[in-house]
Amino acid sequence: MNCPTKTNEDAEILLDYCAQALSPVQTAEFEIHLKQCADCSQLVAAQKEVWGALDAWTPVPVSVNFDARLYARIAQEQTAPAWQRWLRRIFQPPVPYPLWKSAVPLIAACAVLAAGLAVRMPDAGNAAHPQLRADKVDIEKVEQTLEDFDILTPPVQAPAGSM
Amino acid sequence: MALIPAQPSENPGVKKDMEAVAALDRDAELMLRVREGDDVSFALLLERHRGPVIHFLYRMVLNPSVSEELAQEVFLRVYRSRATYEPTAKFTTWLFRIATHLALNWVRDGKKEKGQESLDEQVVDGVDRQVRDRQPTIEQEMLYEVKMEEVRRAIEALPAKQRAAVLMHKYEELEYVQIARALSCSESAVKSLLFRAYESLRASLAHLAR
Repeated sequence: MNCPTKTNEDAEILLDYCAQALSPVQTAEFEIHLKQCADCSQLVAAQKEVWGALDAWTPVPVSVNFDARLYARIAQEQTAPAWQRWLRRIFQPPVPYPLWKSAVPLIAACAVLAAGLAVRMPDAGNAAHPQLRADKVDIEKVEQTLEDFDILTPPVQAPAGSM
Repeated sequence: MALIPAQPSENPGVKKDMEAVAALDRDAELMLRVREGDDVSFALLLERHRGPVIHFLYRMVLNPSVSEELAQEVFLRVYRSRATYEPTAKFTTWLFRIATHLALNWVRDGKKEKGQESLDEQVVDGVDRQVRDRQPTIEQEMLYEVKMEEVRRAIEALPAKQRAAVLMHKYEELEYVQIARALSCSESAVKSLLFRAYESLRASLAHLAR
C-alpha cells in the first residue's frame, strides 16, 4: 500500500484506523505498513493520544425539564396566529437555502425588468448622445427643404426656336 | 401535544415513502410517522437524539444553557417542518445539519461573549448539574479539571467548521458523506478539514500524554 504520510493519498486511513472504522482486512494491511513506516507509526501514536484526551471529555448531563420546555414551546407555537407560523417557516427554515437558489428569483426579476425597459424605450441608446440625434434631424430637415424648394421653383423655359 | 400510539400508516403515499426508506434508517421512518401526525414517534426521535444533539452543541458552544437552548430550537424546527419532510438522506444527517447551522450562526454572531460559563458550573436554569457521580480525590479532580480545560481550549481554538467536523466525526461517529452534507461541502473538503483539525489538536494536546 502507498504510505499515506509520504504520498498524501488516502490520508483518512490514519484517522479511520484510530477510529477503528477500517475493515479487518484494511486494518491488517495497515498494521503491516505501520511496522515498516516510522512516520505513520509516530502519527498514529499521536492521533491515539488526541483520541484518548477527547474521550475523557464528558459533556454535562441534560436538564431534567428539557422535554417539558420543548413541548411547552411547541404548544405555544401551535396556538400562535397562522401568519406568525407562516413567517417562521419562511424566515427560519430548518436548513438554510443555498445562496444560488436565493439568487435565481432575483436574477429572473432583474432580467424581466431589463426586458421591460428595453421594450418601453427603444431609442434609449440614442439618449446618451443628444447631439448626434439633433444632427440627424437637421439633415432630414435640410433634405425636405431642398425638395420643397425644387417643387416651388418654376421649370426653366426652353429658349424659343430650340424645338 | 396529543399522544397517539404509533400505528402503521394507512396513507399509500406514506407507505411508499416508508418502503423507500426502510433500508435507509429507522429514524426517517419515525419522521414520516410524525409527518402523518403521530406525536409518539416524535417523542421517540427526541428520546433517541436529545443527548447526542445537546452534547454536540455543548462542545460547539462550550456553554450548557446555550447548548440546551439551541437544541430546543433544533427539535422545534424538526417538528415545525414535519409536513414538508422528505427522506432524501439519513435522518441524522438532516438533524445534524440543522444543529450545525444553528451552532455556526451562534459562533459567527459572537454570542459566546455573552454569559460565558465555566465548565465547573453546577447550577443552570435552576437545575442542579451534577457532572460526575463517582467520588474522586481532590487531586484527581484537579488533574481532571486541568486536562479538560486544555481539551476545551484546544477545541475552542479550532475554526468553527473544523470544530464541527471533528465533533461529528469523533463523538457522533457520522460518516464523511454525512458530515459533508451537514457542513454543505464536498467529502474531500471534509477530509481536508478533519486532517487539518486533528493536526492542530495533535500539536496542542501532545503535552497531555507526557
